[in-house]
Amino acid sequence: MDLLQGTLDMLVLRTLRTGSLHGYGIAKSIRSTSNEALGIEFGSLYPALKRLEAKGWIASAWDTSEHNRRAKFYKLTATGRKHLVREHSKWADFVSVVGRIMGTLPEVKG
Amino acid sequence: MMIWNRLRYLWPAWRRHEEREMREELESLTAIAGAKELGNLTLAVEDARATWGWTWLGSIFADIRYSLRALRTQPGFSAVAVLSLALAIGANSAIFSFADALLLRPLAVKNPAAMFDVSSTTPDNSLEGMSFPDYRDLRDKSRSFSGLIAYRLTTLAVAANPTAPARMCFSSLVSDNFFSVAGVTPAAGRAFLPGEATASAQPVGVVSYDFWQQNYAGKQSVIGSILRLNGIVFTIIGVAPASFTGLDRFALPSIFVPLGMAQRLDGEATDALEDRGRHDLIVKGRLSAGASRESAQAEVAVIGAALEREYAKTNHNRHMAVRTELQRRIQQTPQLLALVKMLMGLVALILIIACSNVANLLLARGRARSREIAIRLSIGAGRSRVVRQLMTESLIVAMAGGVAGLFVAYGGIRVLETLSVPSDPPFVLGVQLDWRVVEFSLLVALASCLVFGLAPAWQTARTDFVNALKAGGDGASGKGRMLGRDVLVAGQVALAMIVLIAAGMFLAGFRNMLVMPPEFRTDHLISLDTAPAVLHYSPEQTKAFYRRLVDRVRMIPGVAGVAMTEALPLSPSQTAVNVVPEGYQFPKGREKELEFGAAVDAAYFSTLNVEIKRGRAFTDDDRAGTRRVAIVNQQFVKTYWPGQDPIGKRIRFDSTAGPAFEIVGVAKTGHYLAVNEAPAPYVYVSYEQNPRSRMTLVVQSTGDPGALAQPLRDAVRSIDGNVPVFNLRPVATLYKSRVTDTWLQFFQMVGTMGFIGLALATTGLYGLVGYTVSRRVKEFGIRVAVGASHRDVVWLVERRGLILAGVGVVIGGVLTAAAAPLLAAGFPGLGVSSPAVYALVPLALLMVSAIASYLPARRAAGLDPLRALRNE
Repeated sequence: MDLLQGTLDMLVLRTLRTGSLHGYGIAKSIRSTSNEALGIEFGSLYPALKRLEAKGWIASAWDTSEHNRRAKFYKLTATGRKHLVREHSKWADFVSVVGRIMGTLPEVKG
Repeated sequence: MMIWNRLRYLWPAWRRHEEREMREELESLTAIAGAKELGNLTLAVEDARATWGWTWLGSIFADIRYSLRALRTQPGFSAVAVLSLALAIGANSAIFSFADALLLRPLAVKNPAAMFDVSSTTPDNSLEGMSFPDYRDLRDKSRSFSGLIAYRLTTLAVAANPTAPARMCFSSLVSDNFFSVAGVTPAAGRAFLPGEATASAQPVGVVSYDFWQQNYAGKQSVIGSILRLNGIVFTIIGVAPASFTGLDRFALPSIFVPLGMAQRLDGEATDALEDRGRHDLIVKGRLSAGASRESAQAEVAVIGAALEREYAKTNHNRHMAVRTELQRRIQQTPQLLALVKMLMGLVALILIIACSNVANLLLARGRARSREIAIRLSIGAGRSRVVRQLMTESLIVAMAGGVAGLFVAYGGIRVLETLSVPSDPPFVLGVQLDWRVVEFSLLVALASCLVFGLAPAWQTARTDFVNALKAGGDGASGKGRMLGRDVLVAGQVALAMIVLIAAGMFLAGFRNMLVMPPEFRTDHLISLDTAPAVLHYSPEQTKAFYRRLVDRVRMIPGVAGVAMTEALPLSPSQTAVNVVPEGYQFPKGREKELEFGAAVDAAYFSTLNVEIKRGRAFTDDDRAGTRRVAIVNQQFVKTYWPGQDPIGKRIRFDSTAGPAFEIVGVAKTGHYLAVNEAPAPYVYVSYEQNPRSRMTLVVQSTGDPGALAQPLRDAVRSIDGNVPVFNLRPVATLYKSRVTDTWLQFFQMVGTMGFIGLALATTGLYGLVGYTVSRRVKEFGIRVAVGASHRDVVWLVERRGLILAGVGVVIGGVLTAAAAPLLAAGFPGLGVSSPAVYALVPLALLMVSAIASYLPARRAAGLDPLRALRNE
């Protein structure tokens, strides 16, 4: 399934709400949470991380992973948290509006 | 925070740090997840870098670096391209600065775009000054202007103390709000206060910055010091800033004094400021917010109509016009507009020649580089990126040309700066290299870059890279491209021809002018101006002064004759009168015409050797109280009484109600303002019957007229040491500067343009023919191998150059035939179409073209066939 424009940022922020993760961890988490429906390529995730970091919504620091390996871990900042709340409510509005318009799946005749 | 986050990525050390961080991060992730799982990391880094937000800047720097490298590898190409542009842009900038000085430069006031000129108009004169009462009414009633100023330019005799000889200086008599409305803050001291405009106030003045520097060494003590203007003691209260040199072109006032002083300075019995019939003030207004020129025009029209109703006597048929400064200047000096248009047109042609030269070079270079570009395209560079890269190169060439052009322009401006008219006080042309010229040069560079850069860049980027790589040559399908370059070169020749013919016509006109008789004597004559009126002489005293002066000068050894005139022919200040010739039917709505005219004494015609064709000259019997007489020139007769006998006819001055003068003689038509002017009507009246306050003495010498300078000064001093003497110079000097020097400089200017145009076009032709030869090395090799002679090959190449030049000459001939009338119309007497010019210029062009193609032709013929073939 392809992502809607701009939703990747939101997904990353949402994923980091529960705790800090390294880049590959974020990709894996999104993939498993969506039951493999969203095949996030690391190649497109990585620039998004850098973009979010430049905007100050997430911050990164070196740490050791579960297998005792060094990796860069990302975590949500205070402004990132605020942004996520805002985005979340916008998203919910959007979904409900589009849902109202689309209604149930129409029968296809012919 | 955000800004800082972004800006720090401009810092190379931070970028390196970030790069290292990313590399380490990705290496660690590869260790965790494996390379395959992470995919194309190079692309990921590339995209991440793009989020820094400065890739565009980085790529521009890369373009510039790459362009500089490319240009350095071909110094010959770069030098020719930059030089071509430098010459053309330099010529354009120099002429722009000239046009700026003549017409375009805005007033040196705050927000000049909001300043408009308000003038009085009548059916006879669409640009007349305003009277002070009219100005006062306008100022009080108008809502469109937030402020209206009035002023007039005059010359005042300036002396620091009563014993020093007075100097004549330009001065502005200004309304008290002059500086505040102009938005000009004095460099020292203060501007005028509202009360200081009245006649009864203490006389105060503001001096110009230059005057301050020259006479007071820029010291603050100037404030409060005393200056004698026309013999009246003034206190200096302020110094104008260096940037403000008054509101007039050419005449820079040294001193600004309130208009209220006019009556005392002029020593007049009545107050001219209360005379509604005296139209000598220039009025300018600053539009209030929300008003436009149109709304202001509508308002002043209503005010003008009200004044016309109320003051029918003085304001009959008088209206008001609101103009921009440029409109005013064009109205005032339409001949300068013609000059500017012609010169700008010529340099524009040169710019086009230079641009097509550079375009041609770029096209040739593009072919040579098509392999390189094909490689760049094939490894994935976008075509738009390649075009951008090529445009960057063009832009660098253009900017280098623009900057180098400024040096060329500086040279031209130095020459133009010397253009002046010898007079006291001096008129100043004001050609200068300022920011406006710099901006103009860079703008022209930018524009030319678009002209010469776009087409070659596009064409190069269109390269069929498969062919280009395969053939090892170029990927262009040759024919179309070659045709484009041929058109460019033929066009260059055509444009060069127009410029050369213009130069040739100027030369022919200039030669005509040199051989043209001045129609009055210039040798053995020296002239001087005096102005006893500035010392408040009464008219009777002035008359007595001149009588004594003439008597005294006649006694000086070496003086053969003395005459007086109000205006010496060809001197920059000519006098004019409104004439109403008897029996002449004016166009509807008009009742008089402004013509040159002067009061002269009885000795004038014989001393200046102005021939009387019919009737008689003035005699000593034409005195006050006898029948009023006048003499007109042949052109006057031709204009107003064609085919009739003018002797005995009558003429009135100023208006139909003026006194009648009887024509007693007809003088030969001469030149009055310039030698190349169209024949102009002229009318002489007798000085004894019409005494003037300011006269020019013309003294005929038996020997060197220059030797009389000191005796003449002494003669004036022996009568009154305070009377200023100015414009003391041999008439031949004046004549030379007015006729020879000024036009010689114009000719040099146009001649230089012609030369530049020819040089550029020749370079273009040479380049193209040379290029053709280098492309056909193989063909020539075969021709020589199968027995073509040296001459055959030379002719083959020559023919091509000559055909191109020939086509150019034919096109140029057609274009010139269309443009010549415009040229001739703007410059009577100078834009003469001389058959010799039309014959010589094409011949010269063809000859130069033949030489330019001979060099590559010889190279082609000298080819060793074996080597030529092996080369391919």
